[in-house]
Amino acid sequence: MSATGIGAPVRRKEDLRFITGKGQYTDDVVRPGETRAVFVRSPHARARIKSIDVSAAMSMPGVIAVLTGAELANDKIGNLICGWMIHSKDGSPMKMAPHPALATGTVNHVGDAVAVVVAETKGQARDAADQVKVDYEPLPAVADPAKAQEHGAQQIHEVAPNNTIYQWHLGDAKATDAAFASAKHVTRLDIVNNRLVPNAIEPRAALAEYDAGADHLTLWNTSQNPHVARLVIAAFVGMAPEHKLRVIAPDVGGGFGSKIFIYPEEVICLWAARKVGRPVKWTAERSESFLTDAHGRDHVTHAELALDGEGKILALRVKTIANLGAYMSTFSSSIPTYLYGTLLSGQYNIPQIYCEVDAVYTNTVPVDAYRGAGRPEATFVVERLVEVAAREMGIDPPELRKRNFIKSFPHQTPVIMNYDAGDYQASLRKAMELADVKGFGRRKREAARHGKLRGIGYSTYIEACGIAPSQAVGSLGAGVGLWESAEVRVNPTGTVEVLTGSHAHGQGHETTFAQLVSERLGIPFENVSIVHGDTDKVQFGMGTYGSRSGAVGMSAIVKALDKIEAKAKKVAAHMMEAAENDIEFKDGKFTVAGTDKSAAWGDVALNAYIAHKFSGQELEPGLKETSFYDPTNFTFPAGCHICEVEVDADTGNTEIVNWTAVDDFGTVINPMIVEGQVHGGIAQGVGQALLEGAVYDKDGQLVSGSFMDYSMPRAHNLPSFTIGLTETKSPSNPLGIKGCGEAGAIAAPAAVINAITDAIGSEQVLMPATASTVWAALERANVARQAAE
Amino acid sequence: MAMTMTGEVQLAAPRETVWQKLNDPDVLKACIPGCEELNKTSDTEFQAVATTKIGPVKARFKGRVHLTDLDPPNGYKISGEGDGGVAGFAKGGATVALTDKDGGTLLTYNVEARIGGKLAQLGQRLVNGAAKKIADDFFQKFAAETAK
Amino acid sequence: MPSVSMTVNGKAVSGNVEERTLLVQFLREHLRLTGTHVGCDTSQCGACVVHVDGKSVKSCTLLALALEGANVLTIEGLAEPNGPLHPMQEAFRQNHGLQCGYCTPGMIMSAIDIVRRKGHELDERTIREELDGNICRCTGYHNIVKSIAAGAKAMAQGGAPRQAAE
Repeated sequence: MSATGIGAPVRRKEDLRFITGKGQYTDDVVRPGETRAVFVRSPHARARIKSIDVSAAMSMPGVIAVLTGAELANDKIGNLICGWMIHSKDGSPMKMAPHPALATGTVNHVGDAVAVVVAETKGQARDAADQVKVDYEPLPAVADPAKAQEHGAQQIHEVAPNNTIYQWHLGDAKATDAAFASAKHVTRLDIVNNRLVPNAIEPRAALAEYDAGADHLTLWNTSQNPHVARLVIAAFVGMAPEHKLRVIAPDVGGGFGSKIFIYPEEVICLWAARKVGRPVKWTAERSESFLTDAHGRDHVTHAELALDGEGKILALRVKTIANLGAYMSTFSSSIPTYLYGTLLSGQYNIPQIYCEVDAVYTNTVPVDAYRGAGRPEATFVVERLVEVAAREMGIDPPELRKRNFIKSFPHQTPVIMNYDAGDYQASLRKAMELADVKGFGRRKREAARHGKLRGIGYSTYIEACGIAPSQAVGSLGAGVGLWESAEVRVNPTGTVEVLTGSHAHGQGHETTFAQLVSERLGIPFENVSIVHGDTDKVQFGMGTYGSRSGAVGMSAIVKALDKIEAKAKKVAAHMMEAAENDIEFKDGKFTVAGTDKSAAWGDVALNAYIAHKFSGQELEPGLKETSFYDPTNFTFPAGCHICEVEVDADTGNTEIVNWTAVDDFGTVINPMIVEGQVHGGIAQGVGQALLEGAVYDKDGQLVSGSFMDYSMPRAHNLPSFTIGLTETKSPSNPLGIKGCGEAGAIAAPAAVINAITDAIGSEQVLMPATASTVWAALERANVARQAAE
Repeated sequence: MAMTMTGEVQLAAPRETVWQKLNDPDVLKACIPGCEELNKTSDTEFQAVATTKIGPVKARFKGRVHLTDLDPPNGYKISGEGDGGVAGFAKGGATVALTDKDGGTLLTYNVEARIGGKLAQLGQRLVNGAAKKIADDFFQKFAAETAK
Repeated sequence: MPSVSMTVNGKAVSGNVEERTLLVQFLREHLRLTGTHVGCDTSQCGACVVHVDGKSVKSCTLLALALEGANVLTIEGLAEPNGPLHPMQEAFRQNHGLQCGYCTPGMIMSAIDIVRRKGHELDERTIREELDGNICRCTGYHNIVKSIAAGAKAMAQGGAPRQAAE
C-alpha cells in the first residue's frame, strides 16, 4: 500500500480551505447587483388564503418586487413533484397532491410559503415581508399521523381520501399468518420512530442569476445532486429548458438527505431573478429551516415476531403508518416502502415476512430521506423485536441472533433483496471482544455501587446501499436511473482531472477519489483533482445519498480509468514502436514486455496530445474517457454495534459510557474517513434515541422549532467510540466497496434503546429517551414490580 | 399551541362600577399591556393594536376584539384575534364573571389562548409565563382603574 | 448610517452600517470575510465564533456598532498569509476533525479559547464540556476532541497563537 493509495489514511485535500475559512458555500457567493429574497410564510397549519395585500410592502424602502402564487401560476411555473411512483395493494397509483412553490388557495403547513419579497438588502426584504397582509381563514388541521386516517379527520387534499397517499404491502400475508399460527412464541411491539429534523449546520440557500442576452439561468444552491435538481426544475417545474439552466452546488455544509430534494425556494429564486432582471439570493434562517427542510422518519408501527420453541424466527409481520407531511417531497414515497420493507429481514433467515405501509398526509413539513432513510426504521423494528424476544424467551440476545443469522450467500429474503456477501457472525464476535462483553457483569455491579443502572444493547444491522441496477429500481417505480458517471481528463502534462457525478458535502471525495486515481495510474496524489457539483462541467450525474458514492461513483471512475489505460497503451505502443498487446502498464510506467523499453506516464500523456507518433486515421488524439456505470446489485453493508449505558436511577438521565462498532463495508479506501463517517452516523443515531424529536402540537404548530428547543448531540452527550472493521467484498462493483455513510445512524437507535431497556428492566421506552421518559418508565416498572410482590 | 389560565381578583368597587369599566374602551386600553389603540367599532367590537414580547419574539398585533355572552352586570366573554405579521398570530378569549363579595366585587376569569407561527416555534416554553404576566399586569391596572 | 471602526485580523477597518447590523454580518457582508458562518438564529451552534479582544464570542450576538475600537480575530487571521497554519488548524487537519467544514472555523476559534482558559493539557471530559457552545452535525465530535487535545499540546510547543489583542 502506498502512502496515498487505496487503504491509506490520507489527510484530506479539502481541509486546507475549510480550516482557513476559504470554503465557498452558497451564501459566500456574491454576484454583481445581487438582491435578497425573504419569504412570507403561513403561521397556520391549515388555512384558506382569502386575500394577499402587497401594496404596503411594495412601498417599503429598497423593495424591488413582491410576488405571490397567483403570478407564479400566471407564468405557468409548474408544481414540485415526487419522482418515485408507488402503487397501493389494490393497484391504484399513489395520490400526489399539487405542490406549488408558492401556495394559492390553501396553505397546508406552518411555514408554507405564500409570497416572496425581493429587496436591495436582507433587512429591507425582512421589513417588507412583515408588511405583506395575508388574510387567512384558519381551518382545522391534523398533525398526528396515527389520527390522519380516522373518520372525521380533516381532509387535507381533495385527491387523497382519508389523507391516505397509498396503502402498500410487501410479502406473503397468508404464508406469514400460517407461520404465526404455528409459532410457540410471539413477541409484539408498538413502535414510534420519532420525527427528526436533519439540521445540517449550513442552512439551505439559493442564488439565481439570469443572463437575458443568452436567455440562460444559473443557480447556486445547497444541493447533494445538482443534475437531478436541474432535471426536475427544467422538465417538471418548466422553469427553463435543461440546456438553458446551469446548477452549481459549491461547498455544501452537510446534507444528510435534506439537500437531495428540490424545494420551493430555489424555484422561486430562479423565477424571481428572471422577473426582476437581477440576481436573487435566499439563505434560510434556522427557524425557517425547521419549517421547510424535509424532516425524517415519523413512523407509527405495530410489529410482531413469530418464533419456535428454540428461538428460531418463523415470521415477521409489520404494519406501519408513515407520515409524509403536507406535500410529497421529491423521493418521499420510496422511503417507507422500498427502502424500509425490503430491509425487514435484517441479518436473519426469516422464512416469511409481511409488511403493510400506509402513507398519510398531515399538516406538517414534508418528510423525506434523512440519513439512512427507511433503513434505520427497519433496523429499529427488527432489532427491538429480536432483543425483546430473546429477553422474553430467556435466551441471551446475541445467542438468539446467532441462531438466526444468515450464514450462506447469496441469500434471497422474502422481501426482494438478494444479499450477496457478508459474515454476520464475524462482526458480532469481533464487536463482543472489543466491547469486553465478558466484563459487563463486573461493570454493572460497579455501576450499581454508584446508584447507576448499567445496561448493554446490541444492534446487528444490515443496510442496502448503492441502490441499483437502474432497470430494477425502475421496475419498483423510480423515476430516475441510479447509475453514476465519471469523466477522466488526462492533461498533456500528465496531471488528471476527474469529473464525477457524485457530490461531496463532507464525505471527502476530493481525497478518496484521488487516492483511487493515484493508485491506479501510479501518479502523485497531488496531481489529481476531483471536479464535482457543476452541471456545466460534469456530464449528467446522480449525486450523493444512500452511501452510494464509493460503490457507484468510484466504480464509474474505475471504468473510465480502464478506458484511459487502454487508450494510453495504444499511444505508448506507437511511441515505442511495439505491438499494443505487448504494452504493460504498472506504477505509472509503460513497458514493452520482454524488453527494457519504457515510457513514463507524462510522456504518454504528452504524446497523446501532440500526436506526432501516430496518424489521426490510426488513433484519435487526446486522452479523455467517460463512463456511465450501473452496478449489478445493491451493496449490503452490515455490522454490529454494542452500546453500554448508565441510567441514573433517581433522575432517569442516561449516559452512554461505551460504544463499540464493528462494520463490514467491503473494501475501505481511506480508513480515517470511513471511521469519521461511522462516528457521525452514530452521533445522529444517538441523537434520535436520546435527544431529538420534532414535536407538533395538535393544531399543527411546530413547538420544537429552534436549536433552543430541538436538542441535538453536543460533545458531552457522546463518548469516544471504539471502531473495528471486518471485510467481505461486495461482488456487485469492481472495487468491492459497500458504503459507510449511514451505518451509524442505522445501527445506533436500536443499540441505545436495547441498552436502556436492559438497564431499567422495562421495554416501554419511547424515543427520544429523555431523562423524564426513562424516569417515567422506571417508575412504571417499580409500580408493576411492587404490585407483583 | 393552546394555553389556559384561570384566576380571580378582588376589587373594592361595586359590581355596577366594575361592569361599566369593563365596557369602557379607554379603561381597557389603559389596562391592556402594550395596547396602543383600542377603537370601538360597534357596541361589542373594537379594533386593537398591541405590542407584546414573548421570549425572543416581539410582535405588534393588529386585530379585532369582540364581546359576546353579555350579561350585565354579571359578566361577558371577551375574545380577540391578532395578526402579528411574521411573528405569527394569537387568538383567545376570556370568560369574565362578576359576583358581590366582601362589600366589593370578585372578578373571576377563565382564559383560553392559542398562538401560532414564530411565536409558537420560538416562544412556546415562555408563553404561559408571559400570559400570566400579561393577566397580572392587566388586573393590577384594572383594580387601580376601578378604585378611581 | 452610523460608522464603526475596529481592527480585524490586524488591519484597521471601518464601515457605515445600519444600527441593527450584527458583527457576523459586518464581517461577512461588509468585509467579505466569509469564513465566519451562521448556523442558527439563537446563539446555539457556535459556527460564528470569533475572538474579540482575545476572548471568544458568538459574532451573531454582538452589534457591530458596539465594537468601536475592538480588536477582532477571525479564522482568516489565524495564520499569516503564506505562513504556516496555526497549530490548532493543523491539528484539525491531522486528526480529521472536520467533514463538511461549516462548523469548523467556529470550532477552531473556540478550541483556541479553551486552551487560553484551560491550558495545554486538556483531558477528554474538559474538552467535551467546554465545547458545549459549538454544534457539529458531521463528526460525532470524536475527532474534534482528538484534534483539540493535540492542538493544545502543539500550541505549548512554540506554535503560539496569534492573539487579537496584540
